[in-house]
Amino acid sequence: MFENSLIGLPTAAVIHCRFWDEECVIYNQFTGDAHLIDGMGAVVFKVLSEKAVTRIQLLKNINSVFEWEMDFDAEGFLDNLILEYQKLGLVEVTENTSA
Amino acid sequence: MKLETLSKKTVVRALNSDGLRFKIGGFNVCLSSSVPAVAEHLLCLYGAFDVLDNKAFIDFYTALEPPSKLRRFFRPQVNFSFDGYFPFKPLPYKQASAMFEWGLNWCIASHSHQYLIIHASVVERNGQAFIFPGTPGSGKSTLCAALVSRGWRLLSDEMTLLSVSDGCVYPVPRPISLKNQSIDVIQDFAPDAVMGAVFKNTAKGSIGHVRPSDDSVALDEIPAQPSKLIFPKYERGSNTVLTPLSKSRTLLKAAENCFNYNILGLKGFNSLSNLIDASDCYEFKYSNLEEAVALFTDLAH
Repeated sequence: MFENSLIGLPTAAVIHCRFWDEECVIYNQFTGDAHLIDGMGAVVFKVLSEKAVTRIQLLKNINSVFEWEMDFDAEGFLDNLILEYQKLGLVEVTENTSA
Repeated sequence: MKLETLSKKTVVRALNSDGLRFKIGGFNVCLSSSVPAVAEHLLCLYGAFDVLDNKAFIDFYTALEPPSKLRRFFRPQVNFSFDGYFPFKPLPYKQASAMFEWGLNWCIASHSHQYLIIHASVVERNGQAFIFPGTPGSGKSTLCAALVSRGWRLLSDEMTLLSVSDGCVYPVPRPISLKNQSIDVIQDFAPDAVMGAVFKNTAKGSIGHVRPSDDSVALDEIPAQPSKLIFPKYERGSNTVLTPLSKSRTLLKAAENCFNYNILGLKGFNSLSNLIDASDCYEFKYSNLEEAVALFTDLAH
């Protein structure tokens, strides 16, 4: 779904992240909402809080943290997460012009 | 000059003229009232607070007066006003002093956005502030009164004032408000605690106030560093159980207990996050006050 995309936090700098252990709270300054995120999502925001990355780079980071069951569709799960975060205005997906 | 050094006559005269001016932590309050019971309430519970002269800057000009002379005899009532504004509907005349406490809570919570204000009691021992957020009925004031009766410093019973600039907790050590069964519980637990009149049939049931310790009032300009954030829950017959709570979950739970988190926006989020960074976070279930006090005294070492 996001093969040729760059995934990052919104450029408007309205997203603020705080990390504790394997969880994080993401604060959307625009809406005033705070989101508690754990598991794969927390890793996603840890990576994105440093820089925008491609889907492949994001998967590489996630795979270095988690061990999946053989039949688990990690890519599909990540795509759904990104889609949800995009709807909430927590991440921004742009075209990867350097690809 | 301490309020308790004034005679009742002097307090009544001040309340009836330009108002009695006194200092509570970082706030200067002026109260006018023709209700005689208010003088007794102040002398009993605010005796250790400093009286201010007429030149002092006043943060909150407040008054407690009957809304109409016509109702002096038929179901008499009292109104609370702040700078001439009436934020509440009148209450029964007998509840005037309780209305002052609620009104002052409102004044502070509505106008003090230099602080993130958490609906929490907060006490201090060995330089560590223990913050107990909780909804009404969670037992936070009972716990607070019990700890203060055993020598902990009262910073505040009703609202924790967390400075958005330095992250410290600033004291506003007003009387501790107890409801219903908690009044008897604390009278049994701390027979020496000074308690004011009990107001019956209020919207919250019976309400009694415990006078803050003189030491707490004497230190009302000294802030404290947050150390523990503990969500108490009184449950009849339960064991004393302290359970660690993840910091992320604590943040969301604490945000629900703030009066002005949304008003402060990003400052509120950052202040709360910094508080949680600096604190150990727990949920706490209890029914035995002696055990609770012993546990927290041990934690504060």
